[in-house]
Amino acid sequence: MNKQKIISYTLLLVSILAIVYALIFNPADWIVYGIAIVFIPCFILSFGILTMAKPIDDEKEERDEEPFIGY
Amino acid sequence: MNLMANILINVITSFLGGSLLLGLHRKIMARIQLRPGPPIIQYLLHSLKFFFKETSLPKTASPVFYISIVCILAGIWTTGVIVGPVTQGSLLIMFGIYAVYKIVEHNMGSSSGSPYGKLSCVRAVFSAASEIPLFAVVALIFFQTGTLSIAGIIHYQSVNGPLIFTIPLAGVMFFILLLTKSPYSPFAITKGKELISGYETEHFGFLRGFLMFSESIAWFIMSWLFLTLFFGPLSVVYYVIGMIAITVVTAFINATSPLLNPNHSVMLQITIAFVCIVGTIIMMVV
Repeated sequence: MNKQKIISYTLLLVSILAIVYALIFNPADWIVYGIAIVFIPCFILSFGILTMAKPIDDEKEERDEEPFIGY
Repeated sequence: MNLMANILINVITSFLGGSLLLGLHRKIMARIQLRPGPPIIQYLLHSLKFFFKETSLPKTASPVFYISIVCILAGIWTTGVIVGPVTQGSLLIMFGIYAVYKIVEHNMGSSSGSPYGKLSCVRAVFSAASEIPLFAVVALIFFQTGTLSIAGIIHYQSVNGPLIFTIPLAGVMFFILLLTKSPYSPFAITKGKELISGYETEHFGFLRGFLMFSESIAWFIMSWLFLTLFFGPLSVVYYVIGMIAITVVTAFINATSPLLNPNHSVMLQITIAFVCIVGTIIMMVV
């Protein structure tokens, strides 16, 4: 498992735990706001990194060398 | 209700509602231009589909900046959900959210190193100079109602009637702001087609899906704010009707008007802001 995957799984797990903590233990309002603002985007980011398709090995170098690819 | 559950439900509702409204916007624009257009649900499907597409970093991008700016955009609109539908908090925070939104547009353009993004990033500064005065509508609302709390403004309207009847020009200012943020707007100089997709050009794959998630929430929250500030306490049904009406009207305007060039767009917005501010103050004094 590469470094990117490990970081993404860790971030996903931390985000889920933080959101579940706020759901179950109902902490002070400012803590819930902080968790929502930080961990909802983190959850989506880590989910996206894990679900995105990776370039195949032959094309990887070509992709990395692109200055900008465009949409 | 548990606060976190309330926030999650509102974030998901805003995303789904905003996606469907933007899909409707695209469909109406297509029908006005005599094209069949994509299904209304297409915007939502695109947002989800991009999460499974190949993503890589452009060589010229600043990696941390390039990825974190998308997270910041989601963070500020999650804050918008909290300050808006969840807590009905201060309008001043909504003003701050909008100002940061303009900064994010600017930084997103510069993060990729693409010339299209960079030009869009310069235009984001121009457009901030004209959109922030339009958001000065919050000052007019404060002069009229004596409060900056959204809950307080709703209460004021339940007693004195909707603000759209007392300060209609302030409503026009806010509507121009909504029009500016709608897709293919004549004022959307940061995303003009001559810049491909402007500051979003180099964000593709799952980052594009993430961006579309935030933009759906942004459209929903801005529409919600307009209806709440100018049409008083509304039931869910009237919010739905109001949001659809806003989407239809902006789609009609965008389908029939060309994109303005940057200086025309800025000057027109500043002129509208000036006329509406002066007009509202005169109406309040008289």
